[in-house]
Amino acid sequence: MRQWSTGSTIALAVAAAAVSAVITVSMTRNPVQASPGARTADGKPDFSGIWQALNEANWDLQAHEARSGAVMQQGVYPFAFTKVPAAPVVALGAAGGVPGSVGVVDGDGQIPYNPDAAKIKAENGEHWIDRDPELKCYLPGIPRAMYMPYPFQIVQSTNKVHMAFAFTSTARTIHLDEVEGPPDLTFMGHSVGKWEGDTLVVDVTEFNGKNWFDRAGNFHSDALHLTERFTPITHDAIRYEVTVEDPKTFTKPWKISMPLYRRLEPNAQLLEYRCIEFVEEFLYGNLRKQQLVKRWEGDTMIVDITRKVPEGDKLYEWYRR
Amino acid sequence: MRRRLLQLIGMAAVVVVGLVLLKVNVTPLAGQTPAATSKGEGTEAKAGPAPKTPWGEPDLQGIWTNNYETPLQRPAKYANKEFFTEEERAELDRQRAEIIGKDGRRERGSEQDVGGAYNAAIFLTHKHMGRRTSLVVDPPDGKIPPFTPEASKRRAEMRAFQLALLQPTEVCKNKMPGCEGGTYGPPSPKRAETPPSYLATSVAGGGSINRSDNPEDRTLGERCMAAILPDFGGITGFFPQIVQSPGTVSIFYDTGQGQGWQRVIPITSRPHLPSHVRQWWGDSRGRWEGNTLVVDVTNFTAKTDYQGSRENLHLTERWTRVDANTIEYVVTMEDSTTWTRPWTVKQEFHRQGDKANRVYKEPRCHEGNYGMPALLVGARIEERAFAQGRGPNPATMCTAGCGGFAGGFADEGEESNPLAQ
Repeated sequence: MRQWSTGSTIALAVAAAAVSAVITVSMTRNPVQASPGARTADGKPDFSGIWQALNEANWDLQAHEARSGAVMQQGVYPFAFTKVPAAPVVALGAAGGVPGSVGVVDGDGQIPYNPDAAKIKAENGEHWIDRDPELKCYLPGIPRAMYMPYPFQIVQSTNKVHMAFAFTSTARTIHLDEVEGPPDLTFMGHSVGKWEGDTLVVDVTEFNGKNWFDRAGNFHSDALHLTERFTPITHDAIRYEVTVEDPKTFTKPWKISMPLYRRLEPNAQLLEYRCIEFVEEFLYGNLRKQQLVKRWEGDTMIVDITRKVPEGDKLYEWYRR
Repeated sequence: MRRRLLQLIGMAAVVVVGLVLLKVNVTPLAGQTPAATSKGEGTEAKAGPAPKTPWGEPDLQGIWTNNYETPLQRPAKYANKEFFTEEERAELDRQRAEIIGKDGRRERGSEQDVGGAYNAAIFLTHKHMGRRTSLVVDPPDGKIPPFTPEASKRRAEMRAFQLALLQPTEVCKNKMPGCEGGTYGPPSPKRAETPPSYLATSVAGGGSINRSDNPEDRTLGERCMAAILPDFGGITGFFPQIVQSPGTVSIFYDTGQGQGWQRVIPITSRPHLPSHVRQWWGDSRGRWEGNTLVVDVTNFTAKTDYQGSRENLHLTERWTRVDANTIEYVVTMEDSTTWTRPWTVKQEFHRQGDKANRVYKEPRCHEGNYGMPALLVGARIEERAFAQGRGPNPATMCTAGCGGFAGGFADEGEESNPLAQ
């Protein structure tokens, strides 16, 4: 075991060295201008293309160890670290678990919730299936849309940097020119950008507070204010940094950072993930005349899915009247 | 009564999120001189040359909309007439404003009153009439070509299914337009059957079925998935927002009252997706022909339906910025399994101010879709009441395809759309 972990540490170190070597080379070779095609007609870094985060941030922004299931229950031991997968994911086997992560929160890795918000975050985590807007195919919000496990495409023009997301075919426009704000608060925010050298700095406001940051229940209010920074690392990688401010939820600003990677497949293109259709059973299945989810019979696995109607959920409360 | 209320809320809630858009979009008709009709549709002086992007491609960028209302197909009474006269446009605007301005409610509390409530309350404005008598420019008669025998059979099967479900309702009892082709009779065993093909109708009029057993029984509009290609805006209008980078054209369609969607067109000679990969909005491949963006769209899913065409729909779109403020959009529809020949629609899009930023990617229909659970819960309550002897047989009640109103106009009589009278 010890040997294995030593070996893997060495491998990581070698890989890291290789990556920094590549970066160094590319930067030394071309200190002002990055590789060909990386500049727009007006001389800005060109972010156009299909991108995707390659990390576990959508599971949990903070460092965490791998878990046996996205939903877990008490196993044979009474400890939190010995839980086993619970009904909603047990049939998925190893595909139903959660990968570990070193986290993407800068500094001490902690999200500075105020005491009330910390309680809500903990409850959110316990009621993930009921509360996470991603599961309902709601608009994912910013910054979450940037690191969900789906590609997105940047179409960078002179006055607009448009981002098209595969997840639920949504989009955001970063306005580099002067525009009026939205008529109401939004899921995806109102984004106004400017160039600071080679960094695209984006101010995002006008949130409605209905989004989460991840599947761990990290959340924010409608007072959310983001400052995003997009900086080219190489032609095929962007450093993405977000400063998060929300005085209703956090005691101080905090920051996440991660690389975004270009999808290099020559035939890469965004395909639809039109999940509104996919979640009809999840949202309305119990209202069918004849239910589709039954106890299976014979040789077939029986999965009883226990999913309580969440307290305080407006949609459910309303139609249960 | 409670069920009716629920379903009324259902119908209203599905679309309520789009009202803000609707109100800013359409030009109010009532009491206005249609000054705008003297402009646009190719009659005005050109507003400067079509620009190029800094990297030299034709520049289609901006927020666009169509300012005028034009029927897709040429109404019978305008046969052989490609353009309205200015007088005809003014008169149609006047007639339509008068009808829309009336209280069009049916007998209070009747199914037609409830079913038409959304329409009667919402479509208080329309856009001015455009110059053309039809969006269809080819065939020259302005009509969609005849269906193939195969397509006619598909449509007849679906219509028979719809009528079977309407058969025991007041709509057929009273021989209302919604029952056209059907007869009044007892509940049909078809009510327990699966529809003959995937229900892919966008609106509560043609194609919807009178049943709420499942979300899939309801229209794509009620399911918040009404957005399709091609999109001509319809009476509620739409705002395509175009952003370009070298080799890519992005179009966000702010359409269908909160049912907007994102499209990315690669400029490429790459072949289409493998033929078994099917999408709601197909697979787009663009190329420049002079100043025109030509887009070839295939790989549609059988779950989408444009005028009876499904997975075999093939679009060839031509987007040309004819001057600084106008895009000419020409699209040819081909599907040899549905139509006897290809047909072509032509439309103009008019540039909207960038600063006003009148394209909204939200609020979105789905996040506020209280309508769908309301429709389903209403149906379950109704079934329970019937089983307990407290209510009528749900099969005899009409909740979809019942006729009444569409877009602010009655489906027959003096309050119907003057174009169709």
